[in-house]
Amino acid sequence: MIDRKLRIGIVCPYSWDFPGGVQNHIRDLAEFLINNGHYVEVLAPATESDELPDYVISAGRAVSIPYNGAVARILFGVVANSRVRSWINDGNFDLLHLHEPAIPSLSLLACWAGDGAMVGTFHAAAKYQRAIVAIGPILEPVIEKLSARIAVSESARLTLTAHLETDAIVIPNGIYAENYRDGSAQPKWQGNTIGFLGRFEEDRKGLPVLLDALPIISRFIPDLRVLIAGPGDSDEVLEKVDPQLQDRIEFLGKISEAEKADFLASISLYIAPNTGGESFGIILAEAMAGGATVVASNIPAFADVLGDGQFGALFESENSESLAKIVIDLLRDQEKRKELASAGATHAQRFDWSQVGEEIFEVYELAMVSGQKVSLSSENRSWTRLLGRD
Amino acid sequence: MKNIILYVGIAVLFFWYLSFSASRLDRLHHRVETSWATLDSLLQRRAAIALEIARSTITDPATSLLLTASAYQARSADMEDRSSSESVLSGALGMMIAERESIVAKSDQALLYELEQLTDKIRVAISIHVESVTRTQLIRHKLVFRLFRLAGTAPLPVTFEFEADAI
Repeated sequence: MIDRKLRIGIVCPYSWDFPGGVQNHIRDLAEFLINNGHYVEVLAPATESDELPDYVISAGRAVSIPYNGAVARILFGVVANSRVRSWINDGNFDLLHLHEPAIPSLSLLACWAGDGAMVGTFHAAAKYQRAIVAIGPILEPVIEKLSARIAVSESARLTLTAHLETDAIVIPNGIYAENYRDGSAQPKWQGNTIGFLGRFEEDRKGLPVLLDALPIISRFIPDLRVLIAGPGDSDEVLEKVDPQLQDRIEFLGKISEAEKADFLASISLYIAPNTGGESFGIILAEAMAGGATVVASNIPAFADVLGDGQFGALFESENSESLAKIVIDLLRDQEKRKELASAGATHAQRFDWSQVGEEIFEVYELAMVSGQKVSLSSENRSWTRLLGRD
Repeated sequence: MKNIILYVGIAVLFFWYLSFSASRLDRLHHRVETSWATLDSLLQRRAAIALEIARSTITDPATSLLLTASAYQARSADMEDRSSSESVLSGALGMMIAERESIVAKSDQALLYELEQLTDKIRVAISIHVESVTRTQLIRHKLVFRLFRLAGTAPLPVTFEFEADAI
């Protein structure tokens, strides 16, 4: 066990200005480490402003480019590269923790420039892609420098093995379970209610699948209500719904974390009909911690979190009938619902930061045995010396 | 004249590639050494805990004997037998842990807890070590590395066949 306090540098590839799964994970991890007395700096693309937390260092503004089927706000280039290099050089870090080092952003630059104890976390889960395999030979020598690799889920690990032929330790994303444990049930959200949380305009979040299932469910459960929380334009969604069913749907808009806990404690079923593109499913862990009974599509990431149906019900992804059947069964069977919810609530502890953070720190300890500080790598040094930049 | 510049350019590029590859391999070898050192120290600690358990009141004389013997064997084994003798120790510890419900004393519980923590670490260390070894083996089998003997005289690292499930 290492008792001394460490200097840890974390690199975030995506813009800090736009919240996302990776950014949230890094924020929570940084705060966990700081609470344990370590010194942490997070290097991220961000606009300089007062709202940045103390530990975030801006490496410049991100650029938006389409990458891997979505718009990624990332940062690279000559200026960014020299920022990364001077950050590593001045930081005197014991260890670097690079997130998503396989995408063209700050983490990749840091991995290229750094030498010493480096841990990489791979978040993305994607189908087999030729493009990534094609750039493999370029990435391999860089990724190889990592002393240890972490994948956030089994599907992220498989993505990594398929594309870059390297293995990783699976450590899930973390949640602060106690934030969700004490939600109080709100009568206005109780009854035969099913809940949905997230940016519902994005098709891959799967709201259309849920809406298609509504006619069938409401035939069997006449007093069904659907509560949808999250940012987006509700009118556009309602247009596509049968007018007779429109009054069953309530939009709550964006809700706060405290409201989220109440929401999860109140609803009868939490539905996650995502059709893919999820690597982990942190929201399922949160829902379980909040005591909700979870019904999710059987995409690999979700099946993983729900222990193949042990801690929540799974339906066939993109199949509204399968979803309807499970929702009806569960709404009619309170016993079963309670059973799943309590199994889920226990299981959610596995994702608590107290556990996840400990596991990540264990990997840190194993990665930095040699006890040297992170420095700029030697082959880069000889080049800069040759070009007279030293 | 143009041709000469081209050839020189190619040659420079090629030598840069060779030096780059050599330092890449060197780094991998370094990684294997580090991950092995970590794993080795963790295993040594486990053997020490096993001996301590064997001397404590936790175990019956027969289990004590088994633990002591396998711990000594694991400690004194050379590189080639290490893996199998560590597996034997894992098996012995596994048998003892299976009966842990019957252990009541506080001090003994602390010992078992320490062992459990160590086991988790060993599991991670093994996976890190195996990864770095397979990576190195993979690279060393590539043509450039064999043709130009970039590995020098460094021995080819061997994986550690460990029955991680046994504990």
